[in-house]
Amino acid sequence: MRLRSLRVALGALAAIWTLAAVPAFAQASEVAVKAAFIPKFIRYVDFPAAAQPAADQPYYLCVIGHDPFGPLLDRAAASEVIDGHPVALRRFVSADVPAVAGCHIAFVAGAGGPATATMLDALRRQPTLTITDERTGRPRGMIHFAVIDGRVRFHIDQAAAAQRGIVISSRLLALAVDVKQ
Amino acid sequence: MRTGWCVSLLLPLAALPMEARAHAEDQQQDLSSLSIEELAQLPVRSASKQEEPLSTAPTSLYVITDSDIARSNGTTLTEVLRQAPNLHVEKLSATQSTVAARGFAGFETSNKLLVLIDGRSVYSTLHSGVFWELHSPLLEDLQQIEVVSGPGGTLYGPNAVNGVINIISKDASDTLGALARGTVGANERTAGARYGFKLGDSGAMRVYADYYDREDTPTATGFGPAIDESIRGWQAGFRADLGNDASHFTLQGDAFDNKTVIVPGEGNHGYNLLGRWTGDIADNASVQFQGYYDYYQRRSILTTDRLETVDFEGQLNLHSGPHSLVGGVGLRTTRDLFLNDLNAFQLDPKHDRLWIGNGFLQDRFALSKQVSVIAGLKLEGSSFSGLQVLPNLRLAWQPNDRTLFWTSVSQAVRTPSRIDRDLTEPTFLAKAPDFQSEKLVALEAGYRGQPGRNTSLSVSLYFNRYEDLRSFKFIGNPFPLQLGNELQGNEYGVEAWATQQITPWWRLSAGANLLGRNFTVKAGGTDLSGAASIGRDPSYQLQLRSQISLPQGLMLDAGLRAVDDLPNPHVDGYVEADARLAWRINDAVELYIAGDNLLHATHVESNDVQRTALIERNISFGTRLRF
Repeated sequence: MRLRSLRVALGALAAIWTLAAVPAFAQASEVAVKAAFIPKFIRYVDFPAAAQPAADQPYYLCVIGHDPFGPLLDRAAASEVIDGHPVALRRFVSADVPAVAGCHIAFVAGAGGPATATMLDALRRQPTLTITDERTGRPRGMIHFAVIDGRVRFHIDQAAAAQRGIVISSRLLALAVDVKQ
Repeated sequence: MRTGWCVSLLLPLAALPMEARAHAEDQQQDLSSLSIEELAQLPVRSASKQEEPLSTAPTSLYVITDSDIARSNGTTLTEVLRQAPNLHVEKLSATQSTVAARGFAGFETSNKLLVLIDGRSVYSTLHSGVFWELHSPLLEDLQQIEVVSGPGGTLYGPNAVNGVINIISKDASDTLGALARGTVGANERTAGARYGFKLGDSGAMRVYADYYDREDTPTATGFGPAIDESIRGWQAGFRADLGNDASHFTLQGDAFDNKTVIVPGEGNHGYNLLGRWTGDIADNASVQFQGYYDYYQRRSILTTDRLETVDFEGQLNLHSGPHSLVGGVGLRTTRDLFLNDLNAFQLDPKHDRLWIGNGFLQDRFALSKQVSVIAGLKLEGSSFSGLQVLPNLRLAWQPNDRTLFWTSVSQAVRTPSRIDRDLTEPTFLAKAPDFQSEKLVALEAGYRGQPGRNTSLSVSLYFNRYEDLRSFKFIGNPFPLQLGNELQGNEYGVEAWATQQITPWWRLSAGANLLGRNFTVKAGGTDLSGAASIGRDPSYQLQLRSQISLPQGLMLDAGLRAVDDLPNPHVDGYVEADARLAWRINDAVELYIAGDNLLHATHVESNDVQRTALIERNISFGTRLRF
């Protein structure tokens, strides 16, 4: 009984919020929303101690391969500060550059599925939160964007993250379409 | 009437992207202030462009990526295309190469491919083939090359009979900064440079120039006249991209000029300009409009060939429930001129205007989560051939994320070229005003997937039935000969390739291409040419490639390829190897040494008696600098 009333209340809130939001963001583009999401993910994951940035160092957000966001992501990254650490954006043409070792989180998009998979493989040995997009193919990083019912959502591979010592907060998990344990 | 239609479509192009861009920028700041829960609830305007992920495309498709291109020895498009296991490339001389998919290899016979450079079709309406020496984009600016063998489905324009080569350059915002490249070898020197910069906040532009100087190679014993096939020339151009995925405008253009030396003063030049707008018109729909103008003139051994093309295309993508619909129309008009002072063969008329049109509608319908049916209908015609209706049916089964099985049946036609219809010689060849389109019915089946975590594999089988292929028939007086459509036959084959990522730093790829063919003269028909129009194909082609990325920015690439004999006239098959060692000292400097055809001092790749030269071993040094 109580659960049901809670659901109804939440549903009503969501509806009100959606109605309020729609006029303001009727034109929000899919890429802009994804760009806004990406730097925010850092806040909701815990990296292993060794991988956390030093006191005055930024979190490195990397775009590896194709960059669908351009300046949208620069701006989104610039507006994010997590526990005093700013977010620095780095772009790499491919994952076989030594500097990708410093990436805390990486959006990975190769030209086609196999290319993306190769890039993901290259990152699999380090504690980097990998993000992919269903628009660029089937290979999945720890977070995989999907557009469902006209909204940007994502699949989460918690098992892959855990293997690299990355802990994903329940608040982020709650938003996932599904979570691979 | 038609001009009016085009103009009205083009008008909105100028206004829309600016507006949408300003809007997106205003919002980004606001979006960043939202919580993740709020972002997840935000309705988005979906970029419904039908950019099919490779893993779900139910065709025999191979993609050469930008990193493959960067690691390739090739300094020309045709050399880079050797990486596609579903293509057969023959280098004829320093200047000329031919590229074929599923047979019909040869300079004059490889006329069933559609080649697109950023949406601009570059096959020639003179003979339906491609003059590759007219195209030298800066290879460093290419995003990828998609190679489809087979009719390629409904979505591609005219001439996509045996394959489609779709060369796509990078968005200008992906090529910011300066790049310079130089290579030097015994027979070839190239230099290229590009500078990319931002245009406002969400736009970018690049300008580039590419220079090449290729020297003649010795004539092959027993083949052809000993002529100097050297070529020296340049291509320069620009590309500007404005807007975002939801509304994107591209404007690009190129100009080129090159000189050949067989006859002093001869060479080729041309230019083109293309505009394309892609935008979302609803949550589930997007449109694309494209228009281009292209002009070139070739002057080669006392012939002059001029072609001017104007082309407009529009495309609509629509997603609704289980349906993904794509529809489009394209209209192209060409004006040409062909003059021949070398011999008595002429086109009659010397100038002509052709209209080539196509329209298509395709639905990808998801029967279940695993099975999709793709049904398409294509209309294709020209002022030479009338309209033809070409259906295409495909079935895709994806039992899981890593596995795709597909099968298809499709029809395709090659509409007549100017040579097919209008070539004449006063003493023995009559015009062929009744020359029909060459026709193909193709049955295909394939598998593509990742059988293991680090393995990808693709296998395609095909059976092609050709009708009405070009033949020479005897007609008696006043001219003894005329081109006809009296050859027919079957072709069957297997294309397979696999990639194994052995370790994170070592990747091995292998490819095989087997082809069988059986052509005959139609009952009651004749062909006096000895089936010249079917080309001469090797029955197998194998390749093996290794890509190693070592620490300290070292990259070692090596390839081995084996190609079977060519018949009539006989040319031995060959095995050749290439290798490249590159050192990326830092982000700014890359040095490399590349070796081609390492196993033999010379070899021959073609049996074309008029053009074949010896292809020599070659060592070259190169550098790329980025600022």
